[in-house]
Amino acid sequence: MRIFDPHIHMTSRTTNDYEALYASGVRALVEPAFWLGQPRTNVGSFIDYFDALLGWERFRAAQFGIRHHATIALNPKEANDPRCVPVLDEIPRYLVKEGVVAVGEIGYDSMTPAEDEAFSRQLELALEYALPVMVHTPHREKLAGTHRTLDVVRESGVAPGMVVVDHLNETNVGIVKDAGAWMGFSIYPDTKMDEQRMVAILRTYGTDKVLVNSAADWGRSDPLKTSSTASAMLAAGFTADDVDKVLWRNPVEFYGQSGQLILDPVPGFDEAGLPDASAGFEGNSVLRGVRA
Amino acid sequence: MTATTSAPTLAMPFSLGYGTNGFTDHPLPVALELLAEQGYDAVALTLGHPHLDPFAEDLDAQLQSLRSRLDELGFRVVIETGTRFLLDPRHKHRPALVDEEATARLAFLRRAVDIAAGLKAECVSFFSGILPEETSPETGWQRLTSRVAELVDYARGKNVLLAVEPEPGMLVQTVSDVLRLRSELGNPDNLRVTVDIGHCVVVEPDGVRGALLQAGPLLANVQLDDMPVHAHEHLPFGEGAVDLPLALATLAELDYRGVAAVELPRHSHDAPGLASRSIAALRTGWEAAAAIRETERWLQESTTAVAADRGTLTRIFATAGRRWGRGPLHPDADPAGVLFGTTSDHARGLLIGGLREFLPPDELAEALLALYGRGDSAERRGVLRGLGALATSSPKLPAVVVTAGLRLTAEALRTNESSLVAAAAGPFAAAYLDQHSWRHAVLKLIFMEVSLSTVADLQERADDELARMAADFAAERAAAGRTIPDDVHLLLPPPLNHPTSS
Repeated sequence: MRIFDPHIHMTSRTTNDYEALYASGVRALVEPAFWLGQPRTNVGSFIDYFDALLGWERFRAAQFGIRHHATIALNPKEANDPRCVPVLDEIPRYLVKEGVVAVGEIGYDSMTPAEDEAFSRQLELALEYALPVMVHTPHREKLAGTHRTLDVVRESGVAPGMVVVDHLNETNVGIVKDAGAWMGFSIYPDTKMDEQRMVAILRTYGTDKVLVNSAADWGRSDPLKTSSTASAMLAAGFTADDVDKVLWRNPVEFYGQSGQLILDPVPGFDEAGLPDASAGFEGNSVLRGVRA
Repeated sequence: MTATTSAPTLAMPFSLGYGTNGFTDHPLPVALELLAEQGYDAVALTLGHPHLDPFAEDLDAQLQSLRSRLDELGFRVVIETGTRFLLDPRHKHRPALVDEEATARLAFLRRAVDIAAGLKAECVSFFSGILPEETSPETGWQRLTSRVAELVDYARGKNVLLAVEPEPGMLVQTVSDVLRLRSELGNPDNLRVTVDIGHCVVVEPDGVRGALLQAGPLLANVQLDDMPVHAHEHLPFGEGAVDLPLALATLAELDYRGVAAVELPRHSHDAPGLASRSIAALRTGWEAAAAIRETERWLQESTTAVAADRGTLTRIFATAGRRWGRGPLHPDADPAGVLFGTTSDHARGLLIGGLREFLPPDELAEALLALYGRGDSAERRGVLRGLGALATSSPKLPAVVVTAGLRLTAEALRTNESSLVAAAAGPFAAAYLDQHSWRHAVLKLIFMEVSLSTVADLQERADDELARMAADFAAERAAAGRTIPDDVHLLLPPPLNHPTSS
């Protein structure tokens, strides 16, 4: 089984997670730029983060046989801090870099005027750079936030097929499907969605334009939720082809619209062994100390 | 709060007593013995049935034997005169000093003075009485002043202190009223003040602390009890709205050295139990009061240091964590210290409140931004609690301070640290945060499963839109088959009352 996790924050995860992801079948993933739990207070903090997503984290993933891609954006929460907003001027240069497959996460957190402004400006950037868009729907006020998101996307002129609206659940999946956008679902241990509810949604709404992700980050989350959803689908009578469609072909189709996906196997990667100790990234290695 | 480095709790400067009107099912000698057993060292003796008949033929002998018993027990005594039906078996507390005819009341109070002299009591406490119907306050005041003037002279001759007790609903119902009476009589030295701390939450505009401070050195008698805000109902400690540690801390601050006696006149049915539970509550309250006093001293030292050298603020603010500890401020209600903060959050909040006294608004705003911007999570909570203290102590903060406070509140509300979000939803947010952001703050707390008891003015600011948001949230949770946090129901509109039958 091959798996593409279309939304996972590997910066917050360990090398054990990478090993487990590889073992579960994950060969490619997308790490959307988001906040760090601790609020940022300046543009420089974003720059280092974006550089890490495109540099160190890609390298780290590759050590475990996984192709790492990123989406770049000013996230909705930090769009509210005037000290962070000028990062919007830095974002265009990142949108042309290798491995940047979308503008995201953008959208709403608390639905403020500052969030409206950052959302619209970044939708314009997506149009200009011909990139897909990853939209985060708010944790609170999800239904109202999804309605407003779809209105703003419609007004922006970005084709709905270039947009994934993420973190959906039973209450808002229907309106996203009707709008013609891609439907993202984050499978979490307790919150957002779980595997069984996901299977029920796939039964109701079908497998077209559905993306399933773990959205694993620094919070309570599980990077293997893509694999456990695949198992739940099979157990519920979905075919292996259905699973491959939802967990590989759909994200490939969606992010492939960027022209920036790299899906060849990582050269020389030996899945039975540890990372090559001689490999390094700008003088750094994922190994701690000398190998025994 | 508990200070990690505080000295052992000092002895109370005042004597703890218990009112005999709360022991009417026990003979006086038995009541005294029970009180001594519990560790009281004073008694507030209410004259009349059932304990000491002020008009008894053998009064002198009774007083002599009582005084020697008090000496054996090491008890101090104050004389209370609030017996309900002593003078008129049909009408409670009549005749009163504000009635047209008050001969019996005056004779009784003179007798109380005699008894106080005989028992070497600390003082005689009495109240003004309820103004009779169709009597103007002016008339009441005239009657009161002339009669109290008489009593003052009489008591002076006997070397006895008088203490007027303000009572809710009576002509003299606040400490201010007592001071007015005293001033009209030319401030006689032997006319002092009784304060019942329970009454204060009902009628005193500045609360218990304000009333006690106002009485100041004139305080000659204190009654201790709890009371709800809306009714003159004497309750055991912990059942009403009185901040007992604050009251005791204020008595300590005043260096009050008189008698402070528990006043539970409707609880004789459980007198031994209440005597025991009350002194336990007073001892616990005193420990808390000692911590309050300790905090005040630190606050005083800290603000003095910062006033002399602004550069000391950062360090004093940061080291407050070590000084005051990191335990919850209210361990019982909030063991994690999320809802009401920690002991050091509280101290830092007070310090911010104290800066207002001497920092000009622009410097205060700058200090808030710097302390938050360079602070760790605990310091940030302290700044947010400080904003609450500023908002509470001042009806209208300077614009520059409000702007800084709103920026910090918004930043804190964007974090996912429950204690920061909780601290940001306090009195400052209630006073200044726009309605949209305030609703989102409340919903975020619900989402984080933090109790809404942390939100200031929840009922005042909640609106239909918040109810709509809460209902959507509940629907989303229901769709996911997840539980709905209890506090959501605080925000939902009340269920419609459908008729149960046609």
